Amino acid sequence: MSSEPTLLEMQQIEKRFPGVHALKAVDFDLHAGEVHVLLGENGAGKSTLMKVLCGTESRDSGQIIIRGEPTDDLTPKQAQELGIGMVFQELSLVPALSVAENILIGRLPRRSFGMIDWSQANDIARENLARLGVTHIDPHTPVRQLNVAEQQLTEIARVLSRDCQILLLDEPTSALSETEVDRLFETIQRLREQAVGIIYISHRLDEVARIGQRVTVMRDGAVVGTMPVEAADRDTVVQLMVGHKPGEQRADAQRRTGPSLLRIENLTVQDHLYQLTLELHQGEILGIFGLMGAGQTELADALFGLLPHESGAIFIDNQPVQIDHPGDAVAAGIGYLTRDRRGSLIPVQPIAPNVTLPLIGGLPLLRSLNLRDERSAANKYIQDLQVRPPDLNRSVRYLSGGNQQKVLLARWMHSGARILIFDEPTRGIDVGAKAEVFALMRRLANDGIGIIMISSEIPEVLSMSDRILVMRDGRFKAEYASEKPTQAELLHSASYATEQVS
Amino acid sequence: MTEQPINPQAIEPTERKEKPSQTNSMWRVVRRFLLQGGPLIALLLLCIYLALATPFFLTEGNITNVLRRGAVLAILAIGQTFVILSAGIDLSVGSVAALSASVSAVLMTQRIEITETLFIGPVDFWVGLPIGIGVGALAGLINGLIITRGRIPDFITTLGALVTLQGLALLITDGLPVPSYSSAPGALSSLPEQLTWLGSGAILGIPVPAVVALVIVIIAWYVLRYTALGRAIYAVGGNREAARVSGIRVERTKVAVYVISGMLAGIAGIVLAGRLNSANALMGQGQELDSIAAVVIGGTNLFGGEGGVFGSLIGALITTILGNGLNLLNVSSFWQQVTQGLVIILVVIFDQWRRRRFST
Repeated sequence: MSSEPTLLEMQQIEKRFPGVHALKAVDFDLHAGEVHVLLGENGAGKSTLMKVLCGTESRDSGQIIIRGEPTDDLTPKQAQELGIGMVFQELSLVPALSVAENILIGRLPRRSFGMIDWSQANDIARENLARLGVTHIDPHTPVRQLNVAEQQLTEIARVLSRDCQILLLDEPTSALSETEVDRLFETIQRLREQAVGIIYISHRLDEVARIGQRVTVMRDGAVVGTMPVEAADRDTVVQLMVGHKPGEQRADAQRRTGPSLLRIENLTVQDHLYQLTLELHQGEILGIFGLMGAGQTELADALFGLLPHESGAIFIDNQPVQIDHPGDAVAAGIGYLTRDRRGSLIPVQPIAPNVTLPLIGGLPLLRSLNLRDERSAANKYIQDLQVRPPDLNRSVRYLSGGNQQKVLLARWMHSGARILIFDEPTRGIDVGAKAEVFALMRRLANDGIGIIMISSEIPEVLSMSDRILVMRDGRFKAEYASEKPTQAELLHSASYATEQVS
Repeated sequence: MTEQPINPQAIEPTERKEKPSQTNSMWRVVRRFLLQGGPLIALLLLCIYLALATPFFLTEGNITNVLRRGAVLAILAIGQTFVILSAGIDLSVGSVAALSASVSAVLMTQRIEITETLFIGPVDFWVGLPIGIGVGALAGLINGLIITRGRIPDFITTLGALVTLQGLALLITDGLPVPSYSSAPGALSSLPEQLTWLGSGAILGIPVPAVVALVIVIIAWYVLRYTALGRAIYAVGGNREAARVSGIRVERTKVAVYVISGMLAGIAGIVLAGRLNSANALMGQGQELDSIAAVVIGGTNLFGGEGGVFGSLIGALITTILGNGLNLLNVSSFWQQVTQGLVIILVVIFDQWRRRRFST
């Protein structure tokens, strides 16, 4: 590969966000006709690096050299002109417009009097699709009629149609089926032959050997290794991804847990979950680990009545419960801290109404509220959880992420829930707040509350859980109870579709 | 455990900088007033100006007139406030008012023959009144069910209701005012006096419609501030998804606000019939927009979640007094319309500005 010209060199890229050193002296390069796979756990800095390259984030220092030319501050527009194109995980197509309109958005060919030249537009679209080996998509089709894989191809065609030579693909296979993945890989192969350089971000280790020529692993904002794909066997890669972290141990010895609190039997949600069975005990923290999209969030949604389940039974204290609406779940004593914090708060309201919200749904419509009690309850949680600033009149939208999370924790503590589901409870909060959240989870468990903690952060799962279930493709693939797995084992059982189907 | 770097995407904007701590209490009071009292300031300035500009404004007759007119709009606006707080919109309030008034008036004045010997009416005021209000509530219920069960946008559902219900009112009244001069045999030639009292009477010198509006605004304030329903309405309007994941029955809440809006529109229509001493199918035309304007002028966020009924009461008074004042000043009705439209826009611009400037 090194005989090919170097398209891109990033040298000593540094980026800091408040409280986080997101990129630490990162070096990265890309040759023409190469697929360079970028691996790393969530939060390792892959996305930030790509954003710097696309010009959507500015770098604090470091050099970006494109085809031998150093660039100054890169704006998104300049990045595009330099031939850098990115296909995001969340596609950015306009569903109501046709494939051709999407590919040529903002630059449809014109005839005299500013009329759009539709036949030329469709020809250009068809050409760009053909470049990917795609002939079955009609440029006239509205994008909303395409399936996800076709939409993705349309998006790639759009990016390539702007003379893109450096293509960034962020987890392109996360929403695709096996055959669609094969077709995508054929397309990538074709692009390589056209000397396009591709940076390929993935969580799926098994794809690396199939598609890549070189592999770079990032951890904690730094590059921890770049190697040819032949050297990147899975043990090496996993080792690099998780690192050797000394002093990593359980927070306390195997804790004893109480009687059964929650039991789920054969829970099935169409296209997401298949025959899931689990049991949660009083005072237990059950960690559920899986890579992105393994079905963890769907499990939580189904348990909380946000996602209808096809079949399966839910028992609380060995009594069957029917949960069709979040209101039923709250009444049954379940609390759910969703991964989307902003989506769970009423931003314009202050702390107190946000804390008491789950209690409202269970009341008769015209039942009077005791605002004084509400305020004193809110005050109690503000003291207890150290919410800053401790201001009862301030809208929660002005609180920092960690403090918003505390308000949500207070909400579910106040609701009287005995079963708490935490979906990525530390996502996007700073280090100090993280430790506080963990301490609180321990405290709640010690009070007999059963906690299901969904997380894709391995160290967090390992240190917090009494028991760990690993999910992949909507199924439980492994359980670790008394024997704790190593980080590598955990990542293995979550990553490989080929082995140990239990 | 080792610290993981935080995904920068998820980092929230940092907290706003604190205002200087030496903020004295005087300034805090002024700020609070500017923040929450904007519509009231506008109302006071408008009244002061008119009192100076025309000797007729502060006469007893004019004040009574303004209160009667303002009360009907205020009642509609209170219902509209419930809907807008929940991030909906009710374009049908004018038609619902006209339909309720028409149904009540027809029942109270006409004899409806089912067979030769079996007939209904004219019914007593105390029978016709709850039926009229019930028609309004029913219309609201249907709106609410179509919006929640049928998943049709609020705007479209209530736009359809606006047209449909006006059509129904035309059918019921035959397109004529009720009571009409060419009355059928057995029909009364005037509305019951209780109804006229409701629209034009006075209690201790205060016009009855104003008393009705005041009672409703106090009940509405209590419901919004102190009940589970009120809290649910603000939650649904403030962040529908958050309300849902907290176990709030979003659909039930939305149905409730449309029932309330329909019921209050029914009351407003019947009071209006009493004031005009007549009901007709077109009497609510334009009221939906006036009520929305009153709500917005009163400081309620058109996208839901923030605001309240006292603002809407003041908004209704501003709208009414502005029209009245322009009449007193002999401004042509064409210019009146231009002025009223511009005032709505200016008030909202001012409102946005003060929110940004004085918010905590």
